[in-house]
Amino acid sequence: MKKYMNIFVTGFALLGFFSACNDNNFLNVDPSIETPEQALSSPTAATELVNSIYNKFLDWNESSFSWNGVSSITTDDADKGSDPGDTGGDKDLLDALSFSSTSLSFNEVWEANYQGIARANQALKFLPQLDLDATLKTQLIGESKFLRALFYFRLVRMFGGVPLIKSVPNIQNQDDINAANTRATKQEVYDFIMADLAEAATNLPINYGSNDLGRATKGAALTLLAKVNMYQGNWQNVKDLTNQVMSLGYSLTTDYADIWKEIGENNSESIFEIQARGETPNKGVQGYFVSQGARGAGGWGWGFNTPTQNLADAYEPNDARKDATIIFRGETLWDGLLVANTVSNPMYNQKAYVSKTNETFNGNDWESNKNIRVLRYAEVLLMNAEACLKVGGDAATPLNAVRNRAGLGNAPVVDEMAVWKERRVELAFEHDRYFDLVRQGRAGTVLRAHGKNFVDGKNELFPIPQTQIALSGGLLIQNPGY
Amino acid sequence: MHLTLINTNKYLHMKTKIIYFLFLCTVLTYAQDRNITGTVTYTDGSPIPSVNVLLKNNTKGTITDFDGHYSIIAKENDILVFSYLGLKTKEIAVKLSDIIDVILEEDSESLTEVVVIGYGSTPKRDLTGSITSIKSADLLKQPALTPTQSLQGKATGVQIISSGAPGSSPIVIIRGTGTVQAGRNPIYVVDGIITERIDNINSDDIISMDILKDASSLAIFGSRGANGVIMVTTKSGKEGKMKIDISSYYGVKNVLSKVNMADALSFVNFSNLAFGTNRFSTNQQYNTDWFDAITRTGTVVNHNISISGGNEKTAAFFSANFYEEKGILLDDDFRRVNLRNKVNYSVTPKLNFGHSISLSLNRSTPKPQGVFTTAYKQSPLVPIRYADGVFAGKWGVPFDDLGAQYNNVGNPVSQLNLSNALAKNLSIQGNINADYEIIKDLKFNTSFGIESGYGKSYNFNNSLEAFLAGDPNRTNSDFASTNLNTLTVNKGDSYHWIYDAFLTYEKTFVKNHNFKIVVGTTSEKGQSEFLQGSRNNVPNNANLFSLNNGDAGTDIANSSRSNIQTLRSYFMRINYDYLHKYLLTATVRRDGSSVFANRNNNWGNFPSVGLGWVLSKENFLEDNKFINNLKLRASWGELGNQNIPLNTVTFSTGLDAVFGNGQNLNPGSTITAIIDENVSWEVTNEIDLGIDFTLLNNRLTGEIDYYNRLNRNAILPISLPQAFGASGATLTHAGKVRNKGFEFALNWSEQLNEKFNYHFGGNLTLNDNKLEKITNQFAFEQVGGSIGNGQVTKLLREGQPIGSFYLLEVIGTDEYGKFRYNDVNKDGIIDNQDKKFFGSYQPKAFYGVNFGINYNSWDLNIDGYGNAGSKVYNGKKAQRFGGENIEQSVADNIFSGTNLANQNPAPSNEVPLSSTYFLEKGNFFRINNITLGYTLPKLIDGIQKIRIYALAQNPFIIKSFSGFTPELPGNGDPLGSTGIELDAYPSIKSFIFGINVNF
Repeated sequence: MKKYMNIFVTGFALLGFFSACNDNNFLNVDPSIETPEQALSSPTAATELVNSIYNKFLDWNESSFSWNGVSSITTDDADKGSDPGDTGGDKDLLDALSFSSTSLSFNEVWEANYQGIARANQALKFLPQLDLDATLKTQLIGESKFLRALFYFRLVRMFGGVPLIKSVPNIQNQDDINAANTRATKQEVYDFIMADLAEAATNLPINYGSNDLGRATKGAALTLLAKVNMYQGNWQNVKDLTNQVMSLGYSLTTDYADIWKEIGENNSESIFEIQARGETPNKGVQGYFVSQGARGAGGWGWGFNTPTQNLADAYEPNDARKDATIIFRGETLWDGLLVANTVSNPMYNQKAYVSKTNETFNGNDWESNKNIRVLRYAEVLLMNAEACLKVGGDAATPLNAVRNRAGLGNAPVVDEMAVWKERRVELAFEHDRYFDLVRQGRAGTVLRAHGKNFVDGKNELFPIPQTQIALSGGLLIQNPGY
Repeated sequence: MHLTLINTNKYLHMKTKIIYFLFLCTVLTYAQDRNITGTVTYTDGSPIPSVNVLLKNNTKGTITDFDGHYSIIAKENDILVFSYLGLKTKEIAVKLSDIIDVILEEDSESLTEVVVIGYGSTPKRDLTGSITSIKSADLLKQPALTPTQSLQGKATGVQIISSGAPGSSPIVIIRGTGTVQAGRNPIYVVDGIITERIDNINSDDIISMDILKDASSLAIFGSRGANGVIMVTTKSGKEGKMKIDISSYYGVKNVLSKVNMADALSFVNFSNLAFGTNRFSTNQQYNTDWFDAITRTGTVVNHNISISGGNEKTAAFFSANFYEEKGILLDDDFRRVNLRNKVNYSVTPKLNFGHSISLSLNRSTPKPQGVFTTAYKQSPLVPIRYADGVFAGKWGVPFDDLGAQYNNVGNPVSQLNLSNALAKNLSIQGNINADYEIIKDLKFNTSFGIESGYGKSYNFNNSLEAFLAGDPNRTNSDFASTNLNTLTVNKGDSYHWIYDAFLTYEKTFVKNHNFKIVVGTTSEKGQSEFLQGSRNNVPNNANLFSLNNGDAGTDIANSSRSNIQTLRSYFMRINYDYLHKYLLTATVRRDGSSVFANRNNNWGNFPSVGLGWVLSKENFLEDNKFINNLKLRASWGELGNQNIPLNTVTFSTGLDAVFGNGQNLNPGSTITAIIDENVSWEVTNEIDLGIDFTLLNNRLTGEIDYYNRLNRNAILPISLPQAFGASGATLTHAGKVRNKGFEFALNWSEQLNEKFNYHFGGNLTLNDNKLEKITNQFAFEQVGGSIGNGQVTKLLREGQPIGSFYLLEVIGTDEYGKFRYNDVNKDGIIDNQDKKFFGSYQPKAFYGVNFGINYNSWDLNIDGYGNAGSKVYNGKKAQRFGGENIEQSVADNIFSGTNLANQNPAPSNEVPLSSTYFLEKGNFFRINNITLGYTLPKLIDGIQKIRIYALAQNPFIIKSFSGFTPELPGNGDPLGSTGIELDAYPSIKSFIFGINVNF
C-alpha cells in the first residue's frame, strides 16, 4: 500500500509541477479595455468626460430625425415631406398630430436626452474627485451643468415633469429606482435646470482660446437661462438676463443667409452651436443633413421635414430670410446647384443644407460638417423685446434690429404678435416653433387653423412613451388625454 | 521479405506511384506465396479498422487499415484468423481466390465498442451517460465542408441548422437552447484538445465523432460543458504497410426551392391597385426575374489524399485536402486547403510520444446575403441595366409615368457588382502529447495544444459607382466628393493554448470489482487581436489593394484586443463496476475562470454521478434469445457555461467632440453602460434516464433517453428605466430555462448472406423548451426578431419557449381588404397589447431516417431529416411598404370586395404590422442524400479498392413554408434573426459524382 501512496504522491507532484504557477496569478488577467480606474488616471480624463457629453448632441436619436419630427413636423412650419409612402416610422402621425404614446419618435428623444444626462452625471460624479487645475475643473463642471440643463430643457418642454436623475444611479438602490419611475413636477425640473444654469453662468468663461471654440460659454448659460425663464413667464428675469447677454459683445451678422453656411459657423451672433466636422474622420450630426436633403431624382437626401406653404407665406415681401430658409424646387442655390424639377417635394429646409461643392464635404453625407445653431443672438434680442413688452422697456430697438438685418423696415406695430411673428420667421426650423406656440397659449388656435387636430388640454404636452411607462411597471403617469 | 514488414520509412522515400507498382510486382514474383487481400466489415457494411489478421499456427500477421483492408502473404489452405475485440472471431481457409472479404458479427457477450469520453475512453457497455457515436462511414455519406454538417439527422438530441452559403458553418444545438446571452455552441475535443471549431478538418480524416449529451458525460468538462461536447477522433498512422487513399468528388449545386415572384403584368396590376391610380402602363418593356439575375449553377469540388503507415516504433499519417465551392450567388466563392500531419512514436514500451500539426487556409469572396431580399423586392419592370449599360436602380425606364422612383429598393445585380470583398484565413493547430506507464495499472498522460488563427480581408467600397448606381441621371461631375472609393484592410489574429495532465489508475480488485480513476488538471489561455486600416482613392484593381496606393492623409486606423481569457481546472472521475453489471461513474471538476469581473466568482465546482444496471447480465436474462443486451442508465450532474458576455465596467472611448477654429477632433470617453459586475457562470442541472437494448440476435439495437436540463441562472437582458440613460443592454442572471425531452434511436441491420446485407433505422428527438421563470424585477419582456423596418416579431416571456413569435392574429379582412386583427383585450384599439404567442422556431420534434443496402459490389444509402412543430416568419414578405414586388401567388389572388374569403389583403403600400399572416409552419422533411456506389472488380494489383458513386444531396424537400428554406440559422440568437427568412441564403441541392481509390 505504501508503494501506491508514493506513486500517488509522485503523480500529484507531477501535476503540481505542470501547473506550478499560482492559480490566482494565472486567472487575474487585466482587461484590455480601460477600466474606470485606469481611464480616470489619465491627465485628459476630466476633459474627455465632458467632451463625451457634447458628443451626445451628434447622435441621430438626440438631434436628428425624431427631434425634427417632434419639434418641427408637428408644427405649421413643416410637413413630413418625403414620398407619401415613406412614413419615416411615425412622421406622418406627428404631422397630423395623430400620434400616440407608442409613436417611436417620443421614445427615441426620451432615451437620447437621458443618455446625455447620464453622461453629464458621470462627469459631475468624477470631476470633483480628479486632481486637476482648479480653473479648468470649475469650467468643466460649468460645461457639464449647462449641457445637462439643455437636455432637461428639451425634455420638460416636450413632456412636462419628467423623472429627475441628479446623479449617477445605483441600480441596487431602491431610492434611485424610485426616482427613475416617478415624474418630478414641471416646476421641480425647471428649478433643477435653473440651478444648473446659474452655476454654469458663474463658472463659465465669456470666451475660449481658438482650440476650444464651441464649448459652452457664460453667454450660452445666460441665454439658455433667459429662455428657461421665458417658458415660465418670469419676464423680469428674461429682461435682466438678456440685457446681461447683450453686454457680452455679441452682434448680428449682416447677411442672414450666411449664418447657415459653413462661413457662418461660430460667427459673431453665435451663442451656442453643436460643432460638427465634415472631414475624415467625420464627426457630424448623424443624418441631420441627409434626412432633410431633397428627395428623388436629382436630389441628395430623404426629403423629410419640408417647409409648408404656410411658412413660405409668413414672410413679408423682400424678407431675405425666406430664400435663406427655404430651398425651392427648380431654384439655383447659392453654390450654383440647380435643384432638379424631378425632386419629390416643392420645398426643403435650407438651414440643413450643405454644399457639396463650396463647403467642406468628403462624401460622407451621414456625418456632414453642418453645425446646428442652438442659441443665436437674434433670439436674445427677440426675447428681450418680448420681455420689454411685458415688464416695460424698449421693445422696438431689439425687434427692429432683427427685422432690419433681414432687409425689412421697422415694425409698423410693436406688440406681442409682432414679436411672435418675428420669432417664427427668424427661428424657423430651429426646433422652437411647437414649444413657442404652446408657451404663447395659442397652439390650438394656430395649428387647428393650419388643419391640424390640436386638442386643447392634451396636445400641449407630448405623451410619455408607452415603453417607458411599461418599463416603470406602470409607475410613470401618462400625460392627460393620452 | 513480407510486404507487411516493410519499413514505412523506405516507402516515404518513394515519390511516385509507378515505383510503388514496380516494387509491388517484384515482391509478387519474388515469393511463391500468394498475396491475399480483402476487406473486413461490420454487418452493416462499414469497414473495421485494426482487425487482427493472423495465419493460424503461425506468428505472421497484419491488421486492417481504416477502410478495413488487409493484405497478407499466405499459401493455399492456410487458415486466416480474423479477430477484433467485441466481435466474433472468424476463421477462413485460403482457397482459389486471392480476395477474401470478411464480415464480422458483434459478439453480444462483450459489447466492447469503445467510446471516447473526456480524458480517456471507455467500452460502451460500461457507460452510464448518454453518448452518441457517429463513425466515419456515416459522416462520409453526406459530404460537406465541415464535419458537423454531416451529423445532421444522425444523432438524437443534436439539432444541426445550416445555411446554404459557401464556407458557412452550421449551428449546432444539443438538447435544446439553454441560454439566451451566453455562448450557445458546443465545444469540440479533437484528439483530446479542446477547440471551438472544426471547419479545418475534412471528414475523410475523421474516424469517429462521439457526442456527449448528458451531465454525467459532460461534467468532466465542467464550465465548458453546458452546451454539449463533440469528441472528434482523427486518423493516425498504424503499424503496417503504407496506405494511400485518394478521394475526389465534383458536384453541381442549384437552389432547392425557388419562390415564384410576380411577373411584370401582375406587378403592374397589383401596384396600380395599391396606388389607386393607373400609375404603370400594362405595356412594359422589361420583365426581369431578379432571382435568376443574381444566381447561377454552383459547383463543388473536393480532392483528398492521405498517406499513412508505420513500423513498431513510429507511425505517421498525412493528409491533404482541397475544397472549392462556387455558390449559387454570383461570384460567391469559397476555397479551402487543409493539411494534416500526425506522428506517433513508441519510445519505450512504457513511453509513447506524439505530435500533430494541421494547417487550414481558405479564401473567399463573400457577398451580401441581403441581395436575396433585394431581388425578392425589386420590381420586374426595372431592367438590370439600361440600354447605355448603366445599372438600373429604383427608377424604371427611366422613370415611371409620374417621374417618381418605383420603390426604395436597390438593384441586386449592381449591389453584387459593387460588393468587392476578399477574405483569407489561415489557422494552425498543433499539439504534442505523451503517455507514460509509471507502474502497472497507472498511466500518466499529458498534452499541450496550441491553435492560432490569422485572418485578413480587403473591402473595396466604390463610392462613385454606388453614387452613380443610385440615380440614372447622375454623371461623374455630379459626384461632389473627392473621395471616389475607400479600401478597408482588416487583419485579425488569435491564439489559444491548452495544457492537460492526468493520471489514470485502472485495476480490478478482489475479483470483478473494476476501478478506474482519472485525476488531472487542465489550463487554457487565449486572446484575439484586430487591426483595421483604410484609405480613400485606391486604384480599382485587386492587385493594387494596398493602403499605400491610396491618398495619404485619408487614413483611418483602428485596433482592438480582446481580454485575455484563462481557465484553470482540476478534475477527477471514478468508474466502478461489479461484473460489468452494476456501473457507477462519479465525476467532479473544479474550474477557475478569468472572465468574471468579480473575482469572488472565479471558482466553481461541477459534480455528477451516473448509475447503470446491465439487466441482460442478470441470471434471468442471461440466455434470453430475444434480448441480447439490456441496460438501464440514470445520471445527474451540474454543468457550467463560462462563455458569458462582458461583465466589466469599461470606459467607452470614441465619444469625441469637435472644437476649435479648425473643427478639431477632441477625444471623449465616459461610462455609458450599466454593467452587473456580479455576473458569473450559468449553471445547468441535468437528469438523464436511459435504456439501451439489443434484440433479436443483435439485429435490432436501440436507445431511449429522457432528459431534463435546467439552466437555473440564465443570463438575460434586463431593462432598466431609461431615465438611467444607459446605452446598450444590461445583462444579469435573471431567469431559468428548461429543456426536457425524449430521444429515441432504433436501428435494424441484417446480413442475409455473404453478398447481401441491409440496414434501416431512425431517430427522433422530442424537445420542450421553456423560459420557466424570470427572477429579476427588471427582466422586462424583451422584444426581438426585428425585421429591419421597425417591426419586431419575438418576445421573451415567462412560460414561453425562447424566441417565441409574438404577433397580432389576423382574423380576416374588412370590406376594404384591410386586415382585421383579433382585439384580444377588447379595447377597440389594435396595439401591442393584442399580440399573442404563436410558437417558436424551435421544433417540438426532429428526426432522421436512414436506409442502406449492399449487394455484391453495389451499395445504396438514403438518409432523411426533418422537423415538426417549428414556426418560421416570412420576413422578406413582410417588408413591402411601397412599390416592391410581390409573390405571384399574392398577385394571382388579389383581394376583391366580392371575395372576402380571400386570405390576402388588398394591395396597399403600408408597412405591414407583424402578424400571423407572415407566420408559417416550419416543419419539413428532406432527403439529405441518396448515394449509389459501385466498387469496381479488382483490375490492377496494388489498388485495393476503387469505388465510384453518384450522390444526390438534398434532392427534394417536403415543406409547408412558401419561402426559400425553412432552415434559418440566422445569427444564431434565438431572439435575433433565427427562424426569420430575411436576407437568408436559400437551401441548396447538389448532384455529386465521386471516386475513392485505396492503394
